[in-house]
Amino acid sequence: MVTELPWDEKAGTLRRDLAAGMMNPACKHALEAALQIKERFSAKITTVTMGPPASEEVLREALALGADEAILICDRLLAGSDTFATSLVLKEAIKKKCPKFDLILCGAYTADSETAQVGPQLAEELDLPAAAYVEKLEISGRTLRVRRMVDNFRETLEMEFPALVTVSMENYKPRYAKLSGLDDAFCGNEIKTLDTASLGIKAASMEKKGSRTKVRKVFLRKAQKGNVLLQGAASNVVNEFLDKYQRKIGTVIGKSIEEKKLDDKK
Amino acid sequence: MTRNRKKSIWVFGDYRNYYQNRVTLQLIARAVALAKIIEAEVCALIFGHEIDEWIMEYTAHGADRILAIDDPALKSYSTEKYLAIIEALAKERNPEIILIGATDFGREFAPRLAKRLKTGLSADCVGLDITDDGLLLQIAPSFCGNMLAEIVTEFHRPQMATVRPGTFKEIPHDYERKAIVERLPLMNNLPKSRVRLIEYERSVEKEHTIENASVIVCGGRGMGNREKFKKLQELAKLLGGDVGATRPVVYAGWAEHGVLVGQAGKHIKPKILFSFGISGAIQHTAGLGEADFIVAINKNPQATMMKMADVAVVGDASDVLNNLIKELKKRIRE
Amino acid sequence: MQLNPCAKHKLVRDSVRHFAETELAPIAAEIDRKAVFPVDVIGKMKALNYFGLQVPKEFGGAALDSVSSAIIVEEISRICAAVGLCVTVHNGVAVYPFLQFATKEQKKQYLPKLASGEFIGAFSLTEANAGSDSASVETTAVKKNQAYVLNGTKIFVTNGGICDLALIFALTGFEPGSPQSSVFIIESKYPGFLRGELEDLCGMRANPVSSLFLEDCCVPEKNLLGKIGDGMKIGLATLDNGRIGVAAQALGIAQGAFEAAVKYAKERQQFKKPIASLQTIQNYIAEMATEIAAARLLLYRACSLKDEGASFGCEASMAKLYCSTVASKVTSLTVQIHGGYGYSKEYDVERYFRDAKVTEIYEGTSEIQRMVIARSILSQLIL
Repeated sequence: MVTELPWDEKAGTLRRDLAAGMMNPACKHALEAALQIKERFSAKITTVTMGPPASEEVLREALALGADEAILICDRLLAGSDTFATSLVLKEAIKKKCPKFDLILCGAYTADSETAQVGPQLAEELDLPAAAYVEKLEISGRTLRVRRMVDNFRETLEMEFPALVTVSMENYKPRYAKLSGLDDAFCGNEIKTLDTASLGIKAASMEKKGSRTKVRKVFLRKAQKGNVLLQGAASNVVNEFLDKYQRKIGTVIGKSIEEKKLDDKK
Repeated sequence: MTRNRKKSIWVFGDYRNYYQNRVTLQLIARAVALAKIIEAEVCALIFGHEIDEWIMEYTAHGADRILAIDDPALKSYSTEKYLAIIEALAKERNPEIILIGATDFGREFAPRLAKRLKTGLSADCVGLDITDDGLLLQIAPSFCGNMLAEIVTEFHRPQMATVRPGTFKEIPHDYERKAIVERLPLMNNLPKSRVRLIEYERSVEKEHTIENASVIVCGGRGMGNREKFKKLQELAKLLGGDVGATRPVVYAGWAEHGVLVGQAGKHIKPKILFSFGISGAIQHTAGLGEADFIVAINKNPQATMMKMADVAVVGDASDVLNNLIKELKKRIRE
Repeated sequence: MQLNPCAKHKLVRDSVRHFAETELAPIAAEIDRKAVFPVDVIGKMKALNYFGLQVPKEFGGAALDSVSSAIIVEEISRICAAVGLCVTVHNGVAVYPFLQFATKEQKKQYLPKLASGEFIGAFSLTEANAGSDSASVETTAVKKNQAYVLNGTKIFVTNGGICDLALIFALTGFEPGSPQSSVFIIESKYPGFLRGELEDLCGMRANPVSSLFLEDCCVPEKNLLGKIGDGMKIGLATLDNGRIGVAAQALGIAQGAFEAAVKYAKERQQFKKPIASLQTIQNYIAEMATEIAAARLLLYRACSLKDEGASFGCEASMAKLYCSTVASKVTSLTVQIHGGYGYSKEYDVERYFRDAKVTEIYEGTSEIQRMVIARSILSQLIL
């Protein structure tokens, strides 16, 4: 299981879910936010991802878009980590490679069923003030001001660096990679690869400090309702459907949809 | 503090949007069912200011005990304050299970709390049960969306799960019910919030939308392309409803994120739901628990969505849509 | 030549495909129907370096290799051939001569504007009486003080309707029996430069193709590209390069049509099963897949040779000949597989069919390509 984090500031990071083939969409938004910060404040963006070797693709994409540095955490030991373990590993990588970061940005959720836990859990690991689902970031000195919408409340929050935010998809529409950036992504940009050994994490400690949850079974969902099946040419099927359910639909929408009979005399 | 204290299942009181969002009540209901099996008590946590109304409501809806902290300092939600309070309480009282509603707040708060308490968390559970060995069985979507995973937290306590609104049904209120209400003082070493709330306002604009629609016309990738997808709006208009979309459709740019229906999207409770060209990944269908009547249209009769529907129409989604619009235009009269 | 794309080429393909599917796909049918040049999307592409593909970074270009460049044209053409045409003509035959033959001053003056797309370029060789017979150009350039005065008409100029800069091939030497031509850099703002009406074409309709009229158009002498008499040399070298671009276009068109054909064959049911289960359709699909694969290899072989600095003219001709032939065949079969729907404008495939045809004609007809290939082989001492 891989998650993606974009990070930034004078360090930034990004992570990614491999199955999608390209960068997880929410993380693209986080990276876009980071790029806009870089344009205003000349920041340095470091992107980090944890996953199998092919995850490198996504780091290259981030570099092409304008990230400055890329780190890949790759180790067989980490396969199947839950978010508890993932946030732990990320913390170690960050402390080792870019400890002087100002802001960490993550995508608010990932395209697979990953449930947006890594951001908050990483914030807890690093003991950072954090806000999720951020739509807008404003920086003034060491103060970060964010706007977000949570549970139908529009909130403005403030915190000091170092901090962590997860970026929603409402804003920061991702830019397209400039073609000149594609060349940059491969020339002179080494992707640093770290394994658990270089992070000083031993197998035993992963056992102890790693995943807390355990998947006992994975199964296909069972169908839930007995139902009515209609098939045939579209126009026939539609008529059959409406004839059968016209009263039900009519009641809900407050209008009659009963078919006018041809011999209706008015 | 007795040694043989009964086990407790804690439900976090997310009261902010009480009348729209009944998730706490739904979780209390489920907790009551689980509590019967492991012989526990259900305990609702309420931290805020002027919270008597919620104390009464949670009691009426099934809580055995209320842990309440009523203080002006807690007037607004604060992740940091709640983390400190629950950390202290949990250390003292060792809850067996903590359940938190997967509202935006809950989804940000729960993982951080799980880390603080050094325990495991399953998010967006679609089911909760008790295993034969007395563990909380957390049923959550697996990667592919059509698979479910049964997850347990074997060795760590409390066992934590977040659950989306609409997954469980609340117990009807009984204002005669009584609960043990503990009004606790605010701890005096509460950490100063590093995240300052500068301003907040309830967003009115979203009041009348898909969440309140009684007819929803939802479309998935089976619609084919953006133009064909956009035609759903015509049907929605004819039926006085709203258009919803699945995640792949939003990602493809055929619809705005604001009409995403499913776990990560809007929580809907329509009387009639039309599901055009949707296969039925769990992330989508888990959000349909409160739809009364589902009509699914798909080329593939074996699609999950088709099996979940009350009426399954086999055909090309776009074709059926066009025909349905045509027929309805002919038939609709005031 | 690498048979499997390296990570960089994969990223190039993915990025351009993402852009094309998001920005070009929604408008491709409409701009073809209305024959309108999509200024907004082109504007976005300018900002993303699509007009400076192989221009060095110092002039604001993307500094990409030829393989990447071909991939880009292919991916754009897979969705919208008319835009692919604009990009490949600008990069392949307008910018390329600058990279190969311009002086330092000319590069400094024009490359940044071309790379940023501020200037869209066109290449004007063809005339009413000089198509395949390009040596028969009748446009003249006569020296007068420190300038050249050009007179003549160029036809079927791709990007002609909107170009800011055009490379004009004109006669500068009038010895009967040994005509001598040269190339001039003309900015559209020069007096005496006029555009004709836009051509009403069968395909590539969103591309503004027009005639260019030169009526006593004065061009400063510093705008001579290369030396006097270099016309043939520049022309041939440029066309070699242009062929790669057209081959990439044709391949993209074929690929797009092919994907539609396969998708349709799987979905369309007749006789109670998908037509993809019928042997004839399967034969078509197998042929198309194989020929597209072969075309792909020919194209990328020519690109690799060019990137290695080796001579690539013959290989580029082969690629152009084969890719364009395959494009015509595949698009025709795709319409066929779609049956009646393929003939209707409600589906995109008839556009691909119309777009494909011209790839066998421009940048040297298929007949000319055969001539080039044959001459190349026959002139070799050892095969």
